Amino acid sequence: MSTAADPAFVNPLCLHSRRILVTGAASGIGRAACELLSRLQARILAVDIDSEGLESVQQGLPGEGHARSCFDLQDVERIPAWMADLALAGGRFFGIVHAAGLPCVQPVRLLAPAAYRKVLLVNTEAALALTRGFRKTAVGDSGGGSIVFISSVMALVGASGAAAYSLSKAALQGLARSLAVELAPERIRVNCIAPGFVQTPMFERMAAHWEPAELTRVVQNHPLGLGAPADVAHSIAFLLADTGRWITGSVLTVDGGYTAQ
Amino acid sequence: MNQSSVTLITGASSGVGRQIAVNLSQSRRLILHGRDPARLIETRTLCRRPEEHLLWELDLRQGDRIEASLRQLIESNGLAVEGLVHCAGALDIKPLRLVEHDSAHEIMEVNFMSALEILRLLVRRTINGKHLRGVVFISSTASQFGARGFSVYCASKGALDAFMRAAAVELAPEVRINSVLPGATRTAMTAAMLSDDAVRTRMAADYPLGLGEPDDIACAVEFLLSDKARWITGQQFVVDGGRTVNITA
Repeated sequence: MSTAADPAFVNPLCLHSRRILVTGAASGIGRAACELLSRLQARILAVDIDSEGLESVQQGLPGEGHARSCFDLQDVERIPAWMADLALAGGRFFGIVHAAGLPCVQPVRLLAPAAYRKVLLVNTEAALALTRGFRKTAVGDSGGGSIVFISSVMALVGASGAAAYSLSKAALQGLARSLAVELAPERIRVNCIAPGFVQTPMFERMAAHWEPAELTRVVQNHPLGLGAPADVAHSIAFLLADTGRWITGSVLTVDGGYTAQ
Repeated sequence: MNQSSVTLITGASSGVGRQIAVNLSQSRRLILHGRDPARLIETRTLCRRPEEHLLWELDLRQGDRIEASLRQLIESNGLAVEGLVHCAGALDIKPLRLVEHDSAHEIMEVNFMSALEILRLLVRRTINGKHLRGVVFISSTASQFGARGFSVYCASKGALDAFMRAAAVELAPEVRINSVLPGATRTAMTAAMLSDDAVRTRMAADYPLGLGEPDDIACAVEFLLSDKARWITGQQFVVDGGRTVNITA
């Protein structure tokens, strides 16, 4: 009784011909999102600062109508105009996935404003700028849309050295809640996903500095073990697609049970 | 699919539970639980391949009867329950000073204790082997926020969510357990309430995306039960059209 083989079966996650802007697209969760969403027939605009990674991701995507843009999201002032150009060139967007994020592990005594402002710019302010860009005439679809910010469990729990990262990811959740209410009349939905520790290149670089015992502890703190980027991508698809049509202002925590204990 | 493998839905005779049954029947064999046999049969008719699904008629207020009844159902049909959706719920809106012990107790039985009882039985190897994989509780945004006249209901849903988290940690990684917290959806239960113009106007202002449909909730349940949610456990998933983040209403 497999549904996928049934000709009458309609995949509720289908994003056919919908154009989605994905930031942080060259690796990790952003890359997994591009791969899954394109399989769901979305047209992807892949954004990253890493042009080589971006090219290899775009070339691997199934289907047509994908594009890429190498852009530094620290340049928040330029984001809305840049998005307007992208929409003019390739069509309006149905959705945004803001997966770009800078890590920051710094004890407070070493945490200089220049360092944490950069984290805030990319992780948080860029999310606001992307949303502002999305609302501009002829950028977002006229029928509304869906925006997903990748927050983190670090928005909910604390860890030594995580002050700047926690700040940026918790702010995303507050941002999403207010945007959700303000943009609901335009049928734009705004939600967050808060992942636990996912095996991405960013995680691997961080874990490389850990003692083996530290890694064991982190793994054990996830009742279902560490996550894979695809685990988060499925939740992104669920919130973007019509399956999430009555969901806005919500945080979906995808963390293998990390915050349940 | 193994024919003995089933998903149990409590409160399947109407509203959200019925819609969950219809959606899940596309890919799963079901046990449809409810109190009213006629309405349960109606739900079954709406399902895909109606003849495959089993009916389980029981009043969950009688908590001491769940064990014998469920054990008998599983044994006599040779079932392996792989999924559980606890959707049965009772609501009695009343100021605290008018709440009576017996009716409060009944609400706790239906909304919370029966979920504990059923889950406890489904993880017993002598009853259900090691077959259980996914569990979704239909909680409510009332587990997070207060409202006048809702004290018992809020308490029951709060207990359900606290239990969900603890069970998720204890039963990982074999079993995943999550809650869906719906806002008000258009069902037969809310139809009477919504026929009042004043209530409808207020609700429209409260819900940034308007009132929900049972299918909005069923989609979330289906997602959480599926392998797409294989790394999600112990979580409360709010599906409420933005109601609980909206303070401008």
